[in-house]
Amino acid sequence: MKKNSFYLICGCIALALLVIFWYSVEVHIRFLAEISFIVAIGGIYLLRKKVTDFVEDERTARITEKAALRTFQVFWVIFCAFSIGAVMQILYVPTFPREHLEIHAPELLGPRMMGYFQLALLCLMIFLYVGFRIYYARKYGEWETDEE
Amino acid sequence: MPVSMGNGRPMKNKIKVFRAMHDMTQEDLARAIGVTRQTILAIEKGKYVPSLDLAFRISRHFQVNIEEVFVYDETVLTVTAD
Repeated sequence: MKKNSFYLICGCIALALLVIFWYSVEVHIRFLAEISFIVAIGGIYLLRKKVTDFVEDERTARITEKAALRTFQVFWVIFCAFSIGAVMQILYVPTFPREHLEIHAPELLGPRMMGYFQLALLCLMIFLYVGFRIYYARKYGEWETDEE
Repeated sequence: MPVSMGNGRPMKNKIKVFRAMHDMTQEDLARAIGVTRQTILAIEKGKYVPSLDLAFRISRHFQVNIEEVFVYDETVLTVTAD
């Protein structure tokens, strides 16, 4: 399979996923969107193996690796910070100073807020990953030009 | 003061010289050793230090020892460390 055909199929899969997502929102079946996402990623992974004109070498692998590692490092810091806040809410940790303090019942995050948080985190990770990829691609001479 | 290949790295290489001697383009060499042209360009410009495996493949392609293509300049390392 050629690279361009692969990209075309990926585009079609993304469109299909979008349609399935809105359909599952419409009929309130969230598993439909989740399962189709997993199937789509699996399909893309299998298709990618069949692409013959992808030249991936150690430099491109290193760019991907570095970008993924840096994104993960940022991800776990943000995720842990948020989780610590959530745990503090569960444990009724009062603010300082303790005098004249009314202790309220913990306001646990509802599913809607959790969803917004995950969406924001996902967008941040995508932007960060793309940013890191561009940075490392530049660092390892991706857009260097030569006299040839 | 010795000059390093960009970024203060002590690894130098003579790929460009060997390519010229064998009348090869970057594309030819890249195809012969199974990497992208950008990788050859990045190595030549000192932007990327290849793995031992790739360094051996490049030197074997030119039928020379690895030290003839890649030079580890320790004096640059000393200057950089200071």
